[in-house]
Amino acid sequence: MIAEAFKFPLINSILRWKDLFTSFNKVALIAVAAAVIGTVVFLLAGSKDANTAPKGVRNLAESSVEFIENGIVMQTMGKDGLGWTPFLLSLFIFIYLCNAPGIIPVIYMPATARMAIPMFLALLVWVVYMGVGFKHQGIKYLTHTIWPPGVPVALKPLVGLIELVSNYIVRPFSLTVRLFANMLAGHILLVVFALLTQSLITAETMQALLKPMMVLPLFMLIFLTAFEVLVAFLQAYIFTILTAVYIGSSAHPEH
Amino acid sequence: MLAAVVHLEGTSVTVHLTPMEGEGSEELAGVTDPKEPGPIIPELKELAWGAGSFIVFALLMRFFLYPRLKKGMDARYHGIRSAHESADAERAAARAEVAEYEAQLAAIKAEAARKVDDARATLEAERAAAMADVNAEVSAQRSAAMAEAEAAKAAVRDQIAAAVGDVAGRAGELATGRRPSDDVVTRVVQEVMAR
Repeated sequence: MIAEAFKFPLINSILRWKDLFTSFNKVALIAVAAAVIGTVVFLLAGSKDANTAPKGVRNLAESSVEFIENGIVMQTMGKDGLGWTPFLLSLFIFIYLCNAPGIIPVIYMPATARMAIPMFLALLVWVVYMGVGFKHQGIKYLTHTIWPPGVPVALKPLVGLIELVSNYIVRPFSLTVRLFANMLAGHILLVVFALLTQSLITAETMQALLKPMMVLPLFMLIFLTAFEVLVAFLQAYIFTILTAVYIGSSAHPEH
Repeated sequence: MLAAVVHLEGTSVTVHLTPMEGEGSEELAGVTDPKEPGPIIPELKELAWGAGSFIVFALLMRFFLYPRLKKGMDARYHGIRSAHESADAERAAARAEVAEYEAQLAAIKAEAARKVDDARATLEAERAAAMADVNAEVSAQRSAAMAEAEAAKAAVRDQIAAAVGDVAGRAGELATGRRPSDDVVTRVVQEVMAR
């Protein structure tokens, strides 16, 4: 007896999307929606009475500001870094809102599971921390990034090579791949378990055996969906805190 | 697209993954053209929309959204801090007033205790003086009474001595026919009474 049980779709069919209109697909829609939602939330929050105890949307906005200030900026850059709060806040909110659609019914696609947005954000962060380095240290930033203060002369060639690769290539690459790969893996896992559940429900043969087994991938699908809630937040947090660390280390080479 | 082919033979199950062609292979997300670039190649339109969205959002956040929200937060924090400071100042003032009140209360209590002690000392002195006066008067009266009693006793003794001397002189006269001298009789009687 032969039963066709499960069809694995081509990877592009779960990642690449048709244009909704010219040069505007689902990923672009999610990116625009993330910016619009973030803007609307902060607009609404700003319009509420600031003198009373914050609640609702203002509480959400103020909590996110305090989270970035106390949980990221003060921990990595100190008080001098508070000026970077708007940039880091934008980064965190944008990435989170691009991650979150991966578990929202109907949408089911994190925009960061495509390479474009993580790569752009990582390159932007690279440009920013390089710019901060040159602004604070001048041309010496180049030597400081290659040879951190206090490195023995004998180790300079080796350390220089490592630091050169680390600061100019690995940092933006790892920022990109960490976010992209995590979200892509989560998306693929959700697709696989959803399809497996569907296949077991709609199997034409051996239904008596396969239908009860449908519960197993369904439970896994529910668990992974809950896990992706955590991953969406965690990846946004990791990207943001690493950005703060890189900017802080560019501004203060002794750190 | 891949297909999982399941073979069931008796109690054993084997699964083979095989490439699959034909109908039903393109139904999932729409685009399955194998000539398209790899899934990790960034698409320019996604890059452009993503970059544009983020840059606009970051600029709005930097120049409008964050300053507006932060201004309200700072104003509220400042208000709360001011309220805390004024509450602290009021608490300190109240504590100072309580301390001043307690100091005044202690001074009044000390003054009251001093006055009570003075009054008690005055009363004690007056009582002692009155007692001394009474005792002196009692002593004087007792001395006067004793002197009076002594005088009465001496008078009685003299009367007794005179009566005994008179009896003794008459007895001696009857016995001897001659009356003894009054001086002798008186001296003998007084010697006898003095024993």
